[in-house]
Amino acid sequence: MTFSMKRVNAIFQKDFKDISRNSAVSVTVFMPLIIAFVMGKMNSNIAVEAHYTVINITLVVVGSFIQCCLIAEEKEKNTLRGLMLSPASTLEILSGKSLLSLIAMMIVVIIGAMMTGYKPENLLITASSILLSGLFYIGLGTLLGLLANSVMEASVIIMPFMLVFGFGSMATIFADKYPILKALDYTPNMQLMDIAAKVESGIGLGGVWWNLGIIVLWIIAIFALTVVVFRKKKMD
Amino acid sequence: MSLQFTNVEKRLNDSLIFPTFNLQVGFSQVTAIHSSLNVRNILLQMITREVPIFNGEISIGETKISNVHLPDIGFSFLNEGLYERLTVIEQLNFYGKLYNTYEEISVILQKVHLEEKRNVRIKKLSYSEQRRIQFARLLFQNPYLLIFEEPDQNLDIETQRVLMIMLDELRAKGKSVLILTGSMESAVTLADKVYKLDEGGLHEIQVTEEAEMDSIKEEVTATVEIEKAEAIPVRFEKIPTKVNEKIILFDPPEIDYIESNDGQSYLHFKGEGFPTMFTLNELEERLQHFGFFRCHRSYIVNLQKVREVITWTRNSYSLILDDEKKSNIPLSKTKMAELKVMLDLK
Repeated sequence: MTFSMKRVNAIFQKDFKDISRNSAVSVTVFMPLIIAFVMGKMNSNIAVEAHYTVINITLVVVGSFIQCCLIAEEKEKNTLRGLMLSPASTLEILSGKSLLSLIAMMIVVIIGAMMTGYKPENLLITASSILLSGLFYIGLGTLLGLLANSVMEASVIIMPFMLVFGFGSMATIFADKYPILKALDYTPNMQLMDIAAKVESGIGLGGVWWNLGIIVLWIIAIFALTVVVFRKKKMD
Repeated sequence: MSLQFTNVEKRLNDSLIFPTFNLQVGFSQVTAIHSSLNVRNILLQMITREVPIFNGEISIGETKISNVHLPDIGFSFLNEGLYERLTVIEQLNFYGKLYNTYEEISVILQKVHLEEKRNVRIKKLSYSEQRRIQFARLLFQNPYLLIFEEPDQNLDIETQRVLMIMLDELRAKGKSVLILTGSMESAVTLADKVYKLDEGGLHEIQVTEEAEMDSIKEEVTATVEIEKAEAIPVRFEKIPTKVNEKIILFDPPEIDYIESNDGQSYLHFKGEGFPTMFTLNELEERLQHFGFFRCHRSYIVNLQKVREVITWTRNSYSLILDDEKKSNIPLSKTKMAELKVMLDLK
């Protein structure tokens, strides 16, 4: 069957209308903006790490959580069976949903950055690395969405990931005391921060390809895991 | 293309769910399978490939079900969810794009009687109205084979009428329709061919009309009977039924209706069925002068309890009773004429 952009678009529009009227989910989207607003008001000269705390929280909360809720709600409300029996393929269904999460995520990142007053030295590298990490978070959301059976479960299951990927940078302070926490340096959020720090010090694309490579590895890993879980769920 | 079951059988552990059966769901007609919930779920799961078929084969035309493109079949499940935060029109727009059809949305809205509710959110609709949205989906999809699960369970009269008209249109368009239901009344009312499937196998239930020649004769005997009843002053008129080892007696006026199912007659009283040892013919004779009426081959109804006579289409009718459940009893075409005579209607 051919991949139809029309069906992807139909699912995107349907999900957009549906989720924008779901107050439980749409309120969550404003959480990173509130943090950004408070931060922006508190201090006019913010360190790069603080900017990225907001950006990383946005990526998890908006990217992963919305994606996870979109999938989990279809299961909870018994609409997934009908959708699977419609001409739309699984890839089209997931594309429509990912497109919505991705767009929402980028909008919130941009508004958040404006509020905290973040102006990267090299906009191209920064934007593309955020977009790339965005793919990882969408993949994570899809994976969790396959595992969760309701929006309620989705909001619980997202918690540990919100802590690790959203606030992980704070844990690295203790890395000297507990060497195991050094592993956190390789998480996508820390890589993103690393890129940003390098960009600020004026290093071009040549200096960050290693960090981008690690993020790409994360993306490959999360998508492979998602496919495995999807196949397994289909068997049951 | 028609749906075909060939030697399909299901065993679960040690028990037989249903033995091998053959059935063809033909064109331009509505076929109903009356079965238990368990059998119904297994049949549906076999068709949607959720459970494997070990014995026999289900096929559509020449294609085995394992190779069929499932989106070509129209399903109406009993527990199918809707996007309840969308409005009616948004949901239908979504279906239109999803199925890529050229059907006019306004025409479909009209067919399912939802024009006035077009801008209402789905969660504010009644259960019956939500079910009508599912029917609308099938109209967008426009498949050659439609499978309904309990299509008229708990529906209001308006929605039942929408369904009846829709089924008539589907017949006219040459579609095959399969209805899976646990209610004999809805099977008989909706379908042209009715089958019963259980561990005893598949049996066709005759819904074709008997010759109605003897109806006049019956009325004559009825009047004779009344005279006879007057002649014998004490005559026991309670109808016995058997529940476990107890025998329960019913006064004819308190019976709502009597249904025949698999050769066994059931008295329905306050929503419960009680088996009785008499055949429907014997009961018809005994109860005629109490205002009972044989409204269908397998039903006798207490006319005192009838509240409404509904005309679905030109040749399908139902009687709605005045009991708590608002029971819906099928009324056959020939009996309708008879009833009109009885009610002095022209």
